[in-house]
Parts: sequence; structure tokens; C-alpha cells
Amino acid sequence: MAKKERPRPQKLSVYLYIPNIVGYMRVLLNCVAFAVCFSNKTLFSVLYFFSFCCDAVDGWVARRFNQVSTFGAVLDMVTDRVSTACLLVILSQIYRPGLVFLSLLALDIASHWLQMYSTFLAGKSSHKDVKDSTSWLFRLYYGNRIFMCYCCVSCEVLYIILLLIAKNQSENLLNVVVATLTQISPLSFLLALTLFGWSMKQTVNVIQMKTAADVCVLYDIEKQQKP
Amino acid sequence: MAANKAKQRPAKLSVYLYIPNIVGYMRVLLNCIAFAVCFSNKTLFSLLYFFSFCCDAVDGWCARKFNQVYTFGAVLDMVTDRVSTACLLVILSQIYRPSLVFLSLLALDIASHWLQMYSTFLSGKTSHKDVKDSTSWLFRLYYGNRMFMGYCCVSCEVLYIILLLIAKNQTENLMTVVVESLTQISPLSILLALSIFGWLIKQIINVIQMKTAADVCVLYDIEKQHKA
Repeated sequence: MAKKERPRPQKLSVYLYIPNIVGYMRVLLNCVAFAVCFSNKTLFSVLYFFSFCCDAVDGWVARRFNQVSTFGAVLDMVTDRVSTACLLVILSQIYRPGLVFLSLLALDIASHWLQMYSTFLAGKSSHKDVKDSTSWLFRLYYGNRIFMCYCCVSCEVLYIILLLIAKNQSENLLNVVVATLTQISPLSFLLALTLFGWSMKQTVNVIQMKTAADVCVLYDIEKQQKP
Repeated sequence: MAANKAKQRPAKLSVYLYIPNIVGYMRVLLNCIAFAVCFSNKTLFSLLYFFSFCCDAVDGWCARKFNQVYTFGAVLDMVTDRVSTACLLVILSQIYRPSLVFLSLLALDIASHWLQMYSTFLSGKTSHKDVKDSTSWLFRLYYGNRMFMGYCCVSCEVLYIILLLIAKNQTENLMTVVVESLTQISPLSILLALSIFGWLIKQIINVIQMKTAADVCVLYDIEKQHKA
């Protein structure tokens, strides 16, 4: 009677999973995009948005080919955070007051970092699996994938729009936004839609920081109680 | 007969009010003020930023002294560091050409620390500073020697502040400014050279960290598959 031993996959094979290859492509797309962002805004926007679409693709590919990996999820998350951060940096160079996009960058980093930490401490599988919270907005956001998706996509689309409609080296943010909104064109409609989704996402980010901080505190309190 | 002494469960609020966490909030406030004035008063910004950086050492010491080492405090610390460094890199990317330099440094900072945090959790270590197993001599030197690690980290912050302070115009060429300051042969050039060296080591460590952290993520899945 033969004992069938399961072969241990090589490290390299995980690095070569199809969704991870897609992940590397996303990184490359972003590198190229940011290399040209100062000289060719349109090309940047196309590459950036395409990379953002690949984000959805590699998740689907991972599940379809049964190649879901922790490394893939981390690669995804890191690519998202870095690309959003870099885009906010570009926008902070163009739009006055500079503090606006600086603050958005701070909020993005802080909220995601805290959320990641609290997810690990609370043992949830993904920070998107939040079920317990008294905030209706929180429940709406995390309970409804379409709404969550709309808010996330709105942020990216809003930032790309702001990049594309800037005509000069330095613009006043409020002027540009108001001018575009009052034009009453398809663009103003899109801008209004994305502004709404973006504001939801930022509000959720702020709430997330509070709940994540609470998780950290409760984790220590529980740990103290146990010994 | 023993009295059943139930351990007092501290209220959430009391943890938020622990002394090292108060220091943490002060750091956040200092950074907010610093970045609010950074465009108009570079010297004040540098003072506030550096003071906040010093408080970073203080709250760790407070936590150990008052026996109030807590997860929330450590996270608050980490987040404040990441955000303040990121914002400073943003300011520098506005001043120095080519912008891609500081954009890349920002990307490296975020990516390496994020991956490192993830791998720390997956491998169950208590802190990403407790790395004992690695074949890289540089890695071992960096993490084995707290003074050296301290020097490298401080070098980065000092280098960025120096670059902010020596910029005279709205936009400067990075290479030109650095070379000029180095060739001046002044106390500043020595400080600049020292901090560039420490900064360089830190960035190399960041790159190596990304690779080892990625390996940890991959090995975690391989182990998990094997156990199933």
C-alpha cells in the first residue's frame, strides 16, 4: 500500500501564479504611467485606469484558477496604496491649496494602515469582512459590494478627472471644481457623481480609523484579562 | 476559602489616555501644525518635525518606564511615522527636480513598510524590528545593532529636513544642490555626507525587506497548504 505524499510547491511557482503575473503587470503599468505623467497626462490616465481595471481581473483570475495567494493579496494592496499615493502627490503639485491633497494622502495611509492592523488583530480574513458596527454608513458601505465598488472607483476617477482638467501648472482647486460643475455638461455630471462617491469613501475612512483604533485597544484589554 | 479577586478590566478610554499615547497625540498635533506652516515657514516646520521625531523615542521610553506598552500606542507611532515621512517626501517632490526621485522614495517607503508589517503578522513576530534569520550581512548588521539602525533612520529624516532647508527657490535641481553643498567643505557638507550614507543604507534595507517579506507571504501559503 503506497503512501501518497503531497508535493510541496516551490516558492517560485507561487511567484509565477497567473494572478501574480497580472499583479506584476499592474506594477509595470504604474511605473510607466508615472514615468510619463508629467509629459503626457492622457497616456498616464489610460495606463493608470487600465491598471485599476486589472485589479478586478486578478482577483477573478485567482479564484477561477484556484491560485488565491496571500502574496497576491498583499501585492494588490500595496500596488493600490502606492499608486493612489503617487497620484495624490501629482495632484498636490498642481492644485492649491497644497494641504488638501496632502491631507487626503495622510488620511488614505493612516486609515488603511490602522484597518490592516485591526484586521490582523481581530483575525478577520479581509478588512472588507466587517459585520459589526453601529454606523449605518459603515454597514451600508461594507454590506453592499456595489456601493463599496462605486465609492472606490469614484475616488480613482475623480483624481484622474482633476488631473486631466487642469490646464496650468498650478490651479485653484475650488475654482476649477466649481467652474466644471456649473458648465452643465456630461463632464460635470460625472464629476458630481464621483465627488459624491469620493466623499462617502473619505467619511468611511475616518470612521474606519476610529473602529480600528478601538480594535487595537480592545485587543490589549482582552490580552490582559486572559493570563 | 479564597476571595475571588476579579482583575479590574480597564476601560477603553483609560488606554487612550495612557501617557505614551498622550505623547503620541502630541506628535500628531505637532505634525499637523508643522505641515500647516511648511510652505510659509520652513524653519518652524523643521523644528516641529524634528521635535516630533524626538518624541518618537520618548514615548517608547515612557511606555516601558510606566509599563504601558500597548498595541494601540505602537500602531499610532507607526502610522504617525509613515504619514509624516510621506508628507515630507511630497513637499520635497514639489521642490526638487526630477520629481520622480521623491515619488519613487515615497513608493519604496510605503511598499517596504507595508510588506514588512504583513510579513511580521504572518510569521507571528512581535515587532518588525525582531528579525534574526537572514543571510544578508547588511540585514543582520542593521537589525542586530540598534545604534546602527537608529543612525540610519535618523539620517533619513535629517537628510530630508536638510534638503528642505537648503532649497532657495521654488524649484531646484536635486543633483546640482547636493553636489554644491557637498563641495562647500563646511559643517553642513559633513552632516549632509553622513546623512546621505545612512539614508542609502536604509533604502537598500527597504529593498531587501520587500524581498524577504514577500518570501514570508509565499512560505505562509505553502505551509498552510501543506498542513491542510
